[in-house]
Amino acid sequence: MRRCCKVSCGLMVLAMLSSATVLTAADRPVARTLDSILAAENAERGVKHEALPVVDDLAFLRRVYVDLIGRIPTTEEISTYQALPSATRREQTIDSLLQHPRFADRWTVFFADMLRMRSNAEGGAQLVAYVHRAVQDGMPYDELCRKLIATNGKVGRTPEVGFVLGDNADPMALTGVTSQVFMGVRIACAQCHDHPFDVWTRKDFYGLAAYYGRTQRIERRFNNRILATYTTDVSQTSVMWPPEGVGPEEERKAMKPSFPIALLEEGKQPEYITRLKELRAAKANAELAAAEKKADPGLDDLLASAAEKAERRTRGAGTGGLGVLAEARQEAKDLNVDAAGSGESELRQQLARLVTSPRNEYFSRSFVNRIWAEMIGSGFVNPVDDFSGQNPPSHPQTLDFIAQEFVAGGYDLRSLVRMIAMSQTYQRAHDFSGNEPLRVEREAAFLATPVRRMLSEVMFDSIVTAGHLFQPKHEEGKNLKTVWRLTRIMKQPENSVRPVALGGQEKSKTMAAKPAMKKPDQLAAGYDLEKAIELDFNSLLTADDTEESESVEVDQMRVMSREELEAMRMAQESARRQADYIDRFVKAIVDDNPQFTSTMRIATPAAPEHFLRVFGQPGRTDLGDERDHSASMRGALMMLNGRLTHEASRVGEMEPVYPLIAGTNPDLPAAIRLAYLEILTREPTDQEQADAAEIIKTSDTLIDGLADFRWVLLNCNEFRFMP
Amino acid sequence: MPMSCPDYRLSRRAMLGASSATLLGMQVRDLLAFSGTSHEQKAENVILFWNGGGMTHLDTWDPKPGRPTQGEFEPIDTSASGMQISEIFPQLSKQMHHAALIRSIAGTQGAHGQATYNLQTSYVSTPNIRHPGIGSVVTHEKSQIGDLPAFISISGRAARATYLGQKCEAYFVASPGDKDPYLAFPEGIAESRGNRRLEILAKYNGQFAGRAPNEKLSATQTAIEDAVRLMRSPALEAFELTKVPTSTLNRYGDTAFGRGALLAKRLVEQGVRFVQVNRGGFDTHSNNFPAVRAHGEVMDPALASLIEDLSESGMLDKTLIVMMSEFGRTPRINQDAGRDHWAACFSVFMAGGGIKGGTVVGASDKDGYRPAERPVNVADIHATICHALGIDPNREVLTPLQRPMKLVDNGTPVMELF
Repeated sequence: MRRCCKVSCGLMVLAMLSSATVLTAADRPVARTLDSILAAENAERGVKHEALPVVDDLAFLRRVYVDLIGRIPTTEEISTYQALPSATRREQTIDSLLQHPRFADRWTVFFADMLRMRSNAEGGAQLVAYVHRAVQDGMPYDELCRKLIATNGKVGRTPEVGFVLGDNADPMALTGVTSQVFMGVRIACAQCHDHPFDVWTRKDFYGLAAYYGRTQRIERRFNNRILATYTTDVSQTSVMWPPEGVGPEEERKAMKPSFPIALLEEGKQPEYITRLKELRAAKANAELAAAEKKADPGLDDLLASAAEKAERRTRGAGTGGLGVLAEARQEAKDLNVDAAGSGESELRQQLARLVTSPRNEYFSRSFVNRIWAEMIGSGFVNPVDDFSGQNPPSHPQTLDFIAQEFVAGGYDLRSLVRMIAMSQTYQRAHDFSGNEPLRVEREAAFLATPVRRMLSEVMFDSIVTAGHLFQPKHEEGKNLKTVWRLTRIMKQPENSVRPVALGGQEKSKTMAAKPAMKKPDQLAAGYDLEKAIELDFNSLLTADDTEESESVEVDQMRVMSREELEAMRMAQESARRQADYIDRFVKAIVDDNPQFTSTMRIATPAAPEHFLRVFGQPGRTDLGDERDHSASMRGALMMLNGRLTHEASRVGEMEPVYPLIAGTNPDLPAAIRLAYLEILTREPTDQEQADAAEIIKTSDTLIDGLADFRWVLLNCNEFRFMP
Repeated sequence: MPMSCPDYRLSRRAMLGASSATLLGMQVRDLLAFSGTSHEQKAENVILFWNGGGMTHLDTWDPKPGRPTQGEFEPIDTSASGMQISEIFPQLSKQMHHAALIRSIAGTQGAHGQATYNLQTSYVSTPNIRHPGIGSVVTHEKSQIGDLPAFISISGRAARATYLGQKCEAYFVASPGDKDPYLAFPEGIAESRGNRRLEILAKYNGQFAGRAPNEKLSATQTAIEDAVRLMRSPALEAFELTKVPTSTLNRYGDTAFGRGALLAKRLVEQGVRFVQVNRGGFDTHSNNFPAVRAHGEVMDPALASLIEDLSESGMLDKTLIVMMSEFGRTPRINQDAGRDHWAACFSVFMAGGGIKGGTVVGASDKDGYRPAERPVNVADIHATICHALGIDPNREVLTPLQRPMKLVDNGTPVMELF
C-alpha cells in the first residue's frame, strides 16, 4: 500500500513536469503559423473564397468542451468562462481543459478507436486502463507506441501486451495493423499480391511481418482453465518466404525482417529533430534535478522512486512479469516459458524504434492527420489511414508543419490538441449558406468546418450533464418503485434458504430449457440498452498482489501429480454440484432516483445494441472500422423513448431550476434561459423565449411543461450537432 | 483466400480486358451456376433458427441406426418417403414432405467463435475485416415491406451488418412476448403528451433546418419520422403474444423457443424480411442424450406447428425456414456420454421458400464423419438462401473503404433443392 502511494506521487511529479514544459512553450504563434501556412497553400491552389469567421464565444466554449473533455459545459463553467477577460478566455479555457481529469477519458475513446481496443478481448480491459493512464500522465505518443509494439508479457501484469493479443499475436494481422494504424499505410493487400498501383510488394509485407514472426501467444492451462496468457518470443520464426503455395515447400526459408518504409536520411538533421533532442535532454536533466531535490526532505522517498524506476526499467527489459524470486524459481526448474515470457521482444523493439523514429514521417503525419480529423471533421488525408501516392494530402505543407511541431514538442498529445484548438481554422463556423458546391469547396479548403455530430459517448455524457444525472437530483423517497428481482436462492441440505445476490437485476430471465417460469406482470421491462458495466481503471493496473499469489498457485500445481490434480478437480466439481439453487422473483421497493455514470469508463465497445453502438461506436474488430454517424430509426427510438432522455428532461427538486418554476412566484424567463444554457450552451432569443413560454404554459403544470420543453431541446438537432 | 483489394481487381480486369475469351468463360461459368434457374424465385422472407453451441447431426437429421455412433435414439419414418429423422421429432416428422435436409455440409471451423462467424456470414473470420451476416445481406437486397423493421433477431444477437450499414442491422427483441420499452413513450408520459412533444420537436428541427440547411440534419429528422411511424403502426401488434389464444401458444409449446417461432411467424406475416430465432445449449460435451431429448421436446412442437400454420395459410412458399448451427458433433461418444465438436460433416434443415419438399441432398459416410456424396460448402448454404430469394450471391457491394465484397463468399446454390 505504502509503496503504491509513493509510486503515484512519482507519477504526478512526472506529469507536472511534462505539463510544465507544455505550457511554457509559445503556442500561440504556432497556431497562428498553422493558419498562415494553410492560407498560403489555399492561395497557391487558387482558392478564392473567403474564410468564414470564427464562432462566437459560447459556441466556441461548447465546441472545445465537447472536443477536449467529451461533454458540454455546465452553467457554472459557462459563468467561469464569461468572467475571464475576453481577450484571453479561449486560450485560458483550452489550457484548463487540457488539465481536466476528463481529458484522459475523452482521448482514451479516441485511442480506443484507433488501436481497436476491446475490453472484452484478452488483456483488453488492462490495455484500456493502461492507455488511459498514459494519456493522463502525458506519456509521449512515440513512447506509448514503442511499448505497445515491443512489449511481451503476461495479461494483467503487463497491460501493454493487450495490444498484440488483440490480434492473437498473429504476425500477418499485426503487420497490417502496424502499418495502417501507426503509419497510415495500407500494406495489408500485399499479404496476397504485390500492390498494383502503390509501391508495396508482397515481399515488403513479409519483411515487415518477420518482425512479429517469433512472437507467440502462450496459454498456461490447467484442466481447461486458462491460468495465464502471455506473449513471448520463440527461436523459430513463423514467417517464411516464399509464401505458402508459391514454389516448393522445401524451398521456403525464414523471412528476414526488413522495414519497407524509407526514413529520412541519417545525414540530414532537420531543425525539428534537433529541437526534439534538446527537449528530451532538458527533460532528463529536469527529472534528475527533481530527484536530487527530493533527496533532501527524505531519503526514503528517493529510494522508493529509485526502486520504482528500476522496476519500470526492468519491466521493459527482462524480468518483467514475475518478481526476481519467482524468476529464479522458474529458472531453477528449467521452465523456459516464463524466462522468455516478459520484457521486450528484440525484433519488435527494432521495429518499434523504426516505426516511431522522428525520421519516419509517416508516423508523425498519420497521427497528426487523425487528430486533425477528429477535431475538425475531416483530415488532410481521407480516409485517415490511407496515405499513398494516389491519395496525396490536401495541404501537405500544413500537415508537415503540424507533424514537425508535434515531433519537436516531444510527441505530446496535449500540445498538439492545443495547437489545433487555438487555430482559427478549428474555430471557424459551419457553412450554412445552402449553396452546396460552395460549402464543399470551403470545407475542402478548411475555410469552414463541417457539421459534426457528437461522438456517441459524448452525446450520452452531455445528456447526463444537461440533465443533472451524474448525481441524484430528486429528494429521497420521491421515486419509490416496486420491482421484482430475480434472486437465486441456495437450497441447503437442511432446507434452510440463503439468498445469493444475482447482481440485483430487475429483469426477467427466461430460462429456455427449464419449465416455464411465469414472471410477475409488474416486472419492469428494463432499459438495459442504456446500462453498462463500469471499468475500474486503477484496479485493472494494480493486479500485482493477486498476481503473486497466482504464480505461487501455479507453482504448486506443477509439483502435484496428475492423480492429485484430478482428485482436486473432482472435489471442486462435486462441491459445486451439491449446491442446489432455485430462482425466485422477490418483490422489493426501491428508490429509483436516476443516476448515470460516464460512458467513457465503461466496458468498451458496449454491447451490440447499446446506445453507444447505435450512435456509432465501432465494434473495433475490423481494421479501419470507422464510426458510423448515419441516423438510424433505432437511434431515434432510443432518444425519443429512452430512459436517459426521459430522466434528463424530468425536473428534480435538487436542480437549480426547481426554485424558479416550482414556487408560488415562478420566474419563467429565468427557467427558460437556464434550460437553453444547460442544454444548448447559449442564450435564447426573444422569439425563443416567447415560444418556450407558450409551450410550458399550455402544459398541465409548469414542471411538466418545462420537462416537455427540455425533452425537445435534448432531442433536437441543435443539441447533438456541434455549433 | 485472396483479399479483393479494389486496385488489384481493377488491374486484373484491365489485364483481362484484352482477352474476351476469358471474360466469356467467366460468364459461361456464371451461367452454369444458374443453370436450371427455370423456376421463378418464390421466397420473400426467411426465418433462420440459429442453434448455438453446435447441434449434433447424428441425433437429429442424420441418424445412423445400428452403428456404434447411434446412441440412444431410433430413427423414425417421416411424411417424406425414404427420409428418416430422429425420434426426438415425432410431430415434425409429419411435416417433412415440406422440408429438405442437406446431410453433407463440409465445415472447416471447429471453434465456436470462428464457426459461428463462418456459418452466419459465409466468410472465414479474418482480423482485418468483418463481414455482414446473412440477415443483413438479405435486408440489404430486399426492400422493407410495411412499418416493421426488415430484420429482427429474437432471443439473442444476429451477426452485425458491418459494411452494409446501420439500416441493415437487426432489430433486437430480447425475449419474445416482452414489451420493447423503446417502442412506446416513457413511463408516465401519456399518449397526448408524447404526441405533443413530437409535434414541437418536428417544429424545432424544422426551424433549425431553415437556419442551418444540411443533409446530416435532415437525415436525423427522417429517422425520427420512421421511428414514429413504427411506434404508431398497427403492425406492432404482431409482437404482442398476450393476444394469442392460449391454445395456439400451447401448440407451439409455451417455451421461449416456441414463442420465438410463433413471433417469427407473426412477423413474416407482417412482411418482415428476415427473422432470426436464437437458441443455445447445444454444446453437449457431456450427457448428450438427455440434453438432445430435451431440445427435441422444445423444438418439435414449435417447428411442426410453424410449418403447418404457414402451409395452411399459403405463406410457406414465400417463407424459407432454415435451421443451422456452427457445426455437428463427433460420431465417437466420449467418456462423459457426450459428443465433442465436429465440423467436417453436419446437416442443415430447410423448409418452404419454394424448395422441393422431401429432398435429401448429399449423404455422410456410414458413421457421419465425412460427406460421402455431394459435399456442400458453408458458403453454398448462403448462396442457396440468396437464390431462393432471387438475390445474386456473387453481387459485389463496396465497403465504406471502397473495397468490393461479394454478398456471399463464392458460394454456389444447391440447385437440387429447387
